[in-house]
Amino acid sequence: MTDIKYMRNIGISAHIDSGKTTLSERMLFYTKRIHAIHEVRGKDGVGATMDSMELERERGITIASAATNVNWKGYAINIIDTPGHVDFTIEVERSLRVLDGAVLVLCSVGGVQSQSITVDRQMKRYNVPRIAFINKCDRVGANPYKVRDQLRTKLGHNAVLMQMPIGLEDKLNGVVDLVTMQAVYFDGLSGDEIRTEVVPADLSSDAERMREEMLDAISMFSDELMEAVLDGNVTEQLIHDAVRKGTLSLELTPVFLGSAYKNKGIQPLMDAAVAYLPHPGQVRNVALDLDHDEQEVVLLPDEHKPTVALAFKLEEGQYGQLTYIRIYQGRIRKGDELYNVRSRKKFKIGRLIRMHADSMEDITEAGPGDIAALFAVDCASGDTFVSGNLNYSMTSMYVPNPVISLAIKAKDRQASHNIAKALNRFTKEDPTFKTFVDPESNETIIQGMGELHLEVYVERMKREYKAEVEVGRPQVAYRETISMPSEFNYTHKKQTGGSGQYARVAGFMEPFEGEEGEVYHFVNQIKGGMIPTEYIPSCDKGFRAAMEKGTLIGSPIVGIQVTINDGQYHPVDSSDMAFQSAAIGAFRDAYKRAEPIIMEPIMKVTVEGPTEFQGSVFASINQRRGVIISAVEEGMFCIIDAEVPLSEMFGYSTTLRSLTQGKAEFTMEFLKFGKVPKQISEELIAAYEEKRRAEAGK
Amino acid sequence: MVKEELIKRSPLRVFEQSLQGGMLGKGNLGILTSRKGVGKTACLVHIATDKLFRGEHVIHVSFSANVNRVIAWYTDIFDEIARKRSLEHVSEVRDETVKHRVIMNFNQQHITINQIISSLRALIVDGGFHADAIMFDGYRLTMAPIDDIQEIREFARTMNVEVWFSVSALDDDVPYDTYGVSDPVRELTPYVDLLIGLTYADDHVELTVVKDRDNTEPKRMHLKLDPKTLLIVEESEPIEP
Repeated sequence: MTDIKYMRNIGISAHIDSGKTTLSERMLFYTKRIHAIHEVRGKDGVGATMDSMELERERGITIASAATNVNWKGYAINIIDTPGHVDFTIEVERSLRVLDGAVLVLCSVGGVQSQSITVDRQMKRYNVPRIAFINKCDRVGANPYKVRDQLRTKLGHNAVLMQMPIGLEDKLNGVVDLVTMQAVYFDGLSGDEIRTEVVPADLSSDAERMREEMLDAISMFSDELMEAVLDGNVTEQLIHDAVRKGTLSLELTPVFLGSAYKNKGIQPLMDAAVAYLPHPGQVRNVALDLDHDEQEVVLLPDEHKPTVALAFKLEEGQYGQLTYIRIYQGRIRKGDELYNVRSRKKFKIGRLIRMHADSMEDITEAGPGDIAALFAVDCASGDTFVSGNLNYSMTSMYVPNPVISLAIKAKDRQASHNIAKALNRFTKEDPTFKTFVDPESNETIIQGMGELHLEVYVERMKREYKAEVEVGRPQVAYRETISMPSEFNYTHKKQTGGSGQYARVAGFMEPFEGEEGEVYHFVNQIKGGMIPTEYIPSCDKGFRAAMEKGTLIGSPIVGIQVTINDGQYHPVDSSDMAFQSAAIGAFRDAYKRAEPIIMEPIMKVTVEGPTEFQGSVFASINQRRGVIISAVEEGMFCIIDAEVPLSEMFGYSTTLRSLTQGKAEFTMEFLKFGKVPKQISEELIAAYEEKRRAEAGK
Repeated sequence: MVKEELIKRSPLRVFEQSLQGGMLGKGNLGILTSRKGVGKTACLVHIATDKLFRGEHVIHVSFSANVNRVIAWYTDIFDEIARKRSLEHVSEVRDETVKHRVIMNFNQQHITINQIISSLRALIVDGGFHADAIMFDGYRLTMAPIDDIQEIREFARTMNVEVWFSVSALDDDVPYDTYGVSDPVRELTPYVDLLIGLTYADDHVELTVVKDRDNTEPKRMHLKLDPKTLLIVEESEPIEP
């Protein structure tokens, strides 16, 4: 078992096309895990090793977060490849949960782009220490200094260059290491022969100045170093200690540079990753104790303690289901029995695997902090596995509600069988992907976080499951809510021979803004047993049931607080059912008078592109009922932030491409639910009524 | 208090009454000036927020490194006003004001006034954002050639917008008069319609109209900035502890 001090779990995170996959590929090459270098979208058709899915290869993006284990100078590094598109944030977030440090890859030309901002924000949320790598320094227009400045201004990092480029663009030759004050060159066919020399004379004064800047910034983290700077006896070790301390406290981001494509700067980056990013023992991890009201318990990276592990990724391989796990406490051995806290099922570990990019290795045990994979375990992504009598769950991650849905239909009988298999798989892998059969239309509906999110799954059905599907028009997930308070006093009475039903409930409903995710609140102000205590939960249940489907367009109702303050019961005819029915009736009755409105998902949209197209982009947002929040111009480039209803965003990527000759790009994520304008609201209601009439006529 | 009442009782009404021709008005240029760190931006944002309450559209042009800082100004000023006046339907009113406001941010070192104007035009014309006022926060007007100011005036007239600037001298060592107007800013007087100076007086900041259209006789506005909330308040109002 690897000593925890020599273990690193590292994510590589970046904007699309900033060269993340190429970088991962090079890391694998230098650690001898693969024996040839391929390019992403390579001519040899092999593609980079980390992209395990054909589809990803085609799109040039990485969707799944595979973990791969490499060895670098005695350190065992698990590289967790994180997806780069905002539609897949749940995957990003899930991988952030298991990594202890990250390399933020930035393009030396494009700099800090919108996706980097989103991912960085998530990393901040999960307290992930970061080092930065400015890639593509061989490109025309490369300017690592600008990117360093953007790290400071746009992401608020205390970014400090640890290296200086020797030449830029096509003249990129190597880097000056500002710690050792040596020039580093990367020779040989694949840059694997490192040659160090004295700093070229024409760069030495710049290098001295930059080293001083660097020392100035990092000495904040070490009094010893500060003294050494004053006394003029700075050692490499003092620098490393200070940078490590600053990085771990998230107050410093050391910045490295190079070009993965040109094989420059990768080995120093890996040295930095092991030197400055934390080992699993330095990261505080907590679980929730389900036996004690979900109290937080700190997990200790001690192999002798009971095991706590998180299943963070499922993959369907050719040999069956593979479950990636991260062990937080205790150890896992082949043949051990573990308990799945969610499903309350025990299972035995048959095969324990360590995943390399293109091969797997059977291992007998894995210790705290490590990442491994299990074969053929029936579980879902996000499940917690424990040993002994623990009843812990890893902190539940915030799972946003889906905002878009799509009806799908199998083209033939075989496809229909395969779709079922695929959907089962996808829902296990991705909690933001949901599916159900609409009882009214009998259609299979899939739901997710964006158009692209669903498109990818539809394509995966075709490719991986050979299921040809027809898709309907994407539908926005609307909500209903009320805009003013309204009272109710409702009596449910039925007398149809035998025992009757009787219940009366009175009170009021009002708009309610709950904490994150809370859409309903129930207040019981019944005094003197007007409604017996045993029937109070029945009322609550009835209100909840009524909220499942609004009367305007049949969408779920949100944002309501219901208070009951009066009622009546009958000793014989009152029952749980009677009070539920009364609550439903009361709710529907009051709802009508509470000025119900329709809410739609509003997306935060960020468009980036050359300033010359600004007018067209403004116009396109305006046409989509969007609200422009800000427009930031930086040189010839501008970033526009806007809030736009999701229903208006369908096909926007095509529109934007044609408006800007493909030079602009956009990202979007769910922001909030917002009120639908009156006219559109009326259209929606009319369409819903028509649909209902049609169904009734059948 | 409902929004309409809040508008009626806003200290900005005193602001307007202190001016001989009422509020600045479309097609005109106005300057708020002081030493650095006295409260120009707060003042500018309060004026803008008052307009937003009244349903007008405002473009805030900033030259800050971080747009979120500008957004935070608007949030803070709005929250302070809402709290002070116990505004009703806060989130609804807030949503309305956000819809009517766009922040445009530029890097001042590498931009010409023509580029700024072209972006503003793109937003107003192509983007269909019917701006009533444009607030230039921290534009280096004292460095700008007179032609630039004329360009802006021309733009203000054709687009029918009111334009405000918050201006400081780039170098704080230049002479200042008692109203908070530095020599380089005073030189701009002939080219603008309003010039308002902000200065410290005891525990608060005072506002003085130094130029009001054809009147160049300085006149106290009977307004001050609350040092804690940075809101414009009436002179007589006691400062909240």
